[in-house]
Amino acid sequence: MLRRFAISFVFAAISLTAMARTRPHYGGTLRVEIAGDAWERPDGIARRLVYEGLTQLDASGTVRPALALTWDSDNNSHRWQLRLRPGVHFHDGSLLTSATVVASLMASCNADCPWTTVKAVGPLVVLTSDSPMENLPALLADDQFLIGMTATADGKTPVGAIGTGPFQVTGFNNGVLSLAANESSWQGRPFVDAIEIRVHRPVHEQWLDLSVGRADVVEVPAEQLRPAQQQRLTVLVSSPVTLLALQVTDAGALANVKLRGAIAAAVDRSAIYNVIFQKQGEVTASLLPQRLTGYSFLFPTDRDLNRAHELRGGLTTGPLTLATEGDGAMQLAAQRIVLNLHEAGFNVQMASTGAQQADLILRELPLAAGEPAAALEQVMRSAGIMTPMTAKAPAELLRAEQNVLDEKKVIPLLNLPRAYANGMRVRDLRLRADGTPDLADASLEAGQ
Amino acid sequence: MRAMRLIWAVTLGVLGLVRVAVLGAQAPQTPSRWAQPAAELAGQITDILGPGQAQVTIRNLSTIETSEIPIIRRLLEQDLKAHGVLPSGAESANAIRVTLSENTHERLWVAEVAEGNATHVAIVHVDLSVKQVAVTDARMVLRREKVPGLFNRIGGVVQDNPILAAVEINGHFVVMYADRISIFSSGTGGWTEVNTFLIDKRLARDPRGVLLASADGGSFTAYIPGGECIGSYSLPLAGATADSGWSVRCQTSDDPWPVYQSGDASSAPALKAFYNPARDYFTGVVAPSIGVDLPAFYAAGMIPRAAGGAALLVNGIDGKVSLVDNGAVKTLAGTRDWGSDFAVVRSGCGMGTQVIVSSSGEAANDSLRAFDIPALEATPVSGPLAMDGTVTALWTAQDGKSAFAVVRNASNQYEVDRVTALCN
Repeated sequence: MLRRFAISFVFAAISLTAMARTRPHYGGTLRVEIAGDAWERPDGIARRLVYEGLTQLDASGTVRPALALTWDSDNNSHRWQLRLRPGVHFHDGSLLTSATVVASLMASCNADCPWTTVKAVGPLVVLTSDSPMENLPALLADDQFLIGMTATADGKTPVGAIGTGPFQVTGFNNGVLSLAANESSWQGRPFVDAIEIRVHRPVHEQWLDLSVGRADVVEVPAEQLRPAQQQRLTVLVSSPVTLLALQVTDAGALANVKLRGAIAAAVDRSAIYNVIFQKQGEVTASLLPQRLTGYSFLFPTDRDLNRAHELRGGLTTGPLTLATEGDGAMQLAAQRIVLNLHEAGFNVQMASTGAQQADLILRELPLAAGEPAAALEQVMRSAGIMTPMTAKAPAELLRAEQNVLDEKKVIPLLNLPRAYANGMRVRDLRLRADGTPDLADASLEAGQ
Repeated sequence: MRAMRLIWAVTLGVLGLVRVAVLGAQAPQTPSRWAQPAAELAGQITDILGPGQAQVTIRNLSTIETSEIPIIRRLLEQDLKAHGVLPSGAESANAIRVTLSENTHERLWVAEVAEGNATHVAIVHVDLSVKQVAVTDARMVLRREKVPGLFNRIGGVVQDNPILAAVEINGHFVVMYADRISIFSSGTGGWTEVNTFLIDKRLARDPRGVLLASADGGSFTAYIPGGECIGSYSLPLAGATADSGWSVRCQTSDDPWPVYQSGDASSAPALKAFYNPARDYFTGVVAPSIGVDLPAFYAAGMIPRAAGGAALLVNGIDGKVSLVDNGAVKTLAGTRDWGSDFAVVRSGCGMGTQVIVSSSGEAANDSLRAFDIPALEATPVSGPLAMDGTVTALWTAQDGKSAFAVVRNASNQYEVDRVTALCN
């Protein structure tokens, strides 16, 4: 266990801090290939290239200024005011104002906003809530709250994605999204002139393209890290930044917490970890990983089929449905869980991918924040639990986490890393706190 | 006879006991660094369990050395006993399972206290100790020393604002950040920011700047991408603080930047080079002209030659390091591990002048290393000096004998280190 942590930390340390000591060159087109969609939430690769948040997380997950330069709170964190960075422009040349930020934030969430009201007060964006928002700066760094233009100056809906980020959209042809460097990015013009993102490319074809020099950055799913290393790909691996979890409805037959507890006890995490994810990441029964809390070992991870039968107590639920939010390994993991639950006396059937009405949903929840309370609130929000997190001390956090887990609506299974492979001409590629590649700071070798 | 033997044995025994007692009293009683958390955890455990017996087990999931575990166990058991909790065997109904754990910020000691079927948890945190970095040596030793107080923090919060350059002038430190120039005065505990002047921040992803003190130490020139600032000191008005005498004026400028200052700080810059603010490097055009075409470069410096005279050392953006000697540009060998930045220092050791170079490797932290350049090959003359992060700027100090390096650590915190080459 400890050794696995150590190895993970080494990988994480390498991925977070490694960079070439020679200064980066400008120019060139970076070619990226992905299996999914470039814009899909929560981590579509184009989103953080085109859009920026009011805050951002650095590689260690610490909150840093982005479009907001400073912020402060009063009234016991019920009210926050953020001062915008001056002189920031959208890609169409219009100025970023507190009004445009407010419009974007209002469009980003409905009932699930961490705030009650958001308004522009001069150059300030003011957010208020009936509940304390201790972790608001970290939450604002979330992909959900990236700032985009919602209306042009003449009130029309903008054509295409317009943000303030280091790249702007120039086109989409034949499955390739083209982005060009934003010369007036407040962080400085990115090093590469352009990025081409080929979407919906199967992973094996991505690797083939990388090997023949047709791609510069490709994906390495966690379960394929070992083959990638065997093929001697240059792989950047994050620390475990996603939580693979089973989300369980508390409606219908599963309103009974004992039945949900039976499901939690029946799942065989070790099999999913060993067989499907090829021993990548960490088995977990806690929402936050050991690296953030230091106490995740308190949550037992072993399967306990006897306990599952005992909790079920002969109750029948009728057929349940289980859906996943991914394919490949996620589908396999879901099928394995179906078998586990059958063994515990549940009748579970697979639902179509992405089904939102399933009784059980296998999901990947992001874990980017480096501060435990913020990370806990982030993962809870992703799981649909909108409880503000005010705990700070380890013992308080442990209690808060235990309270959530006792509900058995979220069953943590694995902490998984993210990984990308890059070609020889790519320099200074690093991973962000959420494990996605920071392409704006990458550069290409001169003369290539 | 038998009585005599008995008396002798008793005497020896008493002497032995006295000796043990004396030695025990003389044994060092330095408090262990684990004493405080052990006492705190024992207190929390007792609050849960109350007086009684319990089986105590300890496991280590942290980076604490295994050799420390018996010490921690002893301390914990002592403290538990003091609270009335007596460690016992497995037959006890109560069990205390202590895990020495840690996260990325701190160490945690976690006790799971089992009473029958109920388990309660106690947690105490223990600060992570800082590991010291060892410096290796060879013919020379590089020594680094943090300039205390020079960092990109305000009120303890790390700012999104890199340090680009710093210069010591007239009892002050002038520090150029990406968006301001700050004046620091020496105070207890290091340098303290006493004055700050905002500058027009030119957008750059790899920002650079140069600070040059005037010969009389009363002013400085700051070269920033697309501009130039003059800072000067005049006696403040009566009643004002001494630090209020600084003023800074900035103007748009595309004048060349000084890339090499002769060893004599009172002289004008020996060589200036035009800077490309859109690409963060020197274009290769220098003033005054040296009669050869230079490649675009990141750093340049003058080194003395054994045959007399001096040669210009240029670190090109293509990764090649060149020596411009007698009107010819020659490629320097032995520079494969060089990063983009170097500083020429007059150490007085070996050849007298060395080049301190940042590394080009992919290690987590950068290192600096001194090289001699006797001919057309760079020879390492010191071991690598490990830095606490990435070296983002490196330049020769005004005295010509040491260098300053700006280091960015993993927390995005910038610090200024003075690096000196010492003869070994």
